[in-house]
Amino acid sequence: MGNSFQIKWIFIVIFSLFAQVFILRDVALANVAFCFIYLWIIIKAPIHTPMIYLILAGFFIGWIVDIFYNTHGIHSLATVFIAFLRPTFFKVLTPVNGYDERSSVSLSEMKALWFFPYIFVMLLSHHLILFLVESADATLLMYSLLRAFASAILGTLVFGMLELFNQKN
Amino acid sequence: MNQLFQFLIRQRIILLFILLELINVWSIFKYDDFQHVIYLNTTNRWAASLLATSREIKTYHHLGEVNAELALENSRLRQEIFKLSAIKQPESKVPYFVSSAMLNRYAPVASKVIDQSTQMSQNYLTIDKGLVDGIKPGMAVISSTGVVGKVMSCTSNLSLIVSVLHIENNVSAKLKSTGELGYIKWPGIQTEVVEMMDVSKYKKVLKGDTIVTSDYNVVFPPNIPIGIVAKVGLEKDETFHNIKVMLLTNFSTLKYVYVIKNHLLGQQLKLETSKPKPE
Repeated sequence: MGNSFQIKWIFIVIFSLFAQVFILRDVALANVAFCFIYLWIIIKAPIHTPMIYLILAGFFIGWIVDIFYNTHGIHSLATVFIAFLRPTFFKVLTPVNGYDERSSVSLSEMKALWFFPYIFVMLLSHHLILFLVESADATLLMYSLLRAFASAILGTLVFGMLELFNQKN
Repeated sequence: MNQLFQFLIRQRIILLFILLELINVWSIFKYDDFQHVIYLNTTNRWAASLLATSREIKTYHHLGEVNAELALENSRLRQEIFKLSAIKQPESKVPYFVSSAMLNRYAPVASKVIDQSTQMSQNYLTIDKGLVDGIKPGMAVISSTGVVGKVMSCTSNLSLIVSVLHIENNVSAKLKSTGELGYIKWPGIQTEVVEMMDVSKYKKVLKGDTIVTSDYNVVFPPNIPIGIVAKVGLEKDETFHNIKVMLLTNFSTLKYVYVIKNHLLGQQLKLETSKPKPE
């Protein structure tokens, strides 16, 4: 928890929000798969981050994204929701040795069998809420589900690739 | 009471979670009222200015495409102008009808300049349209501001154009205000200045008058602007005015030109060559 740690996190927050708002806002793969890289902040937060910070961070980051997406609260709703569910996922997906010596969510510490399901479940629950609330229409239900699944798969791939840059040998 | 506080403190995370989600749900369902209060959307001043900046950066990369589109649109508009000016009734008592062949005589093709020179005494341009696009030697080339030259030779995809800045390339021209005829010739020195020849010294020439292509031009459509009279001089014992003309086309920054397809060019040339030669 040194100084460089905090600077790294400030950098991650600014970078992911900028990338989300200015670049990824206009990007959609086949009009079904969207990439929400700002969730990196919630997903990668250290395991022992106090819940209260995590939920507040989810709220404000979600609001910033909402402002630029004109979605008035939907991103914030979904982000606060996954921030709240995160400890539950941790409990369900316990790694073999428990969380005792581990502090950060990373591929190298957690191994692929834990890391990818975790990211996929986080993204999927976020996207389900996001797309279902956004469409708010029973006729679009299947399309929203398709979007949520496609985006979650794309997101898992993107986060996996970003994680490769984060490997410590 | 104490127990209630203890309960609240123990459950503070869930309570915070519920509170924040309620704010969000309220905002989602009542966003119209909410928007008017604090403008938390892209109409927000900061958000809008940030988005505008990013939009500017993105459009800068598309300037090339935008230019090409505009050049295409201009060529379409030019065709309309040629049609409309051909349909215009001349001042005559006899009824005048214009045939559809004359109406659709000129068709401009927008093309990009890929190479050009201005420093030589004989200057040429290369453009990215050729025989495939219907371009043939002898066609006129103009820019959005004025004349450029005429097509000299074509390959299937490229064409070579003799610039007006070529000491042997003369263009038949007239003074716009008086209709006085003459021709334009480049003396080969400055890239902005050409000379107008063959204007009798007994005719009035005003500084600032526009010079356009004449109606009797084989290559160019009539009334394409060439330049502005910059200086009128008269030397002793000369029969013609010495007129310096500032060109309207800026050759050094030329990017897009229009090749004017003349559908009647063949017929016109045939008629001209069938004239009896003077004995």
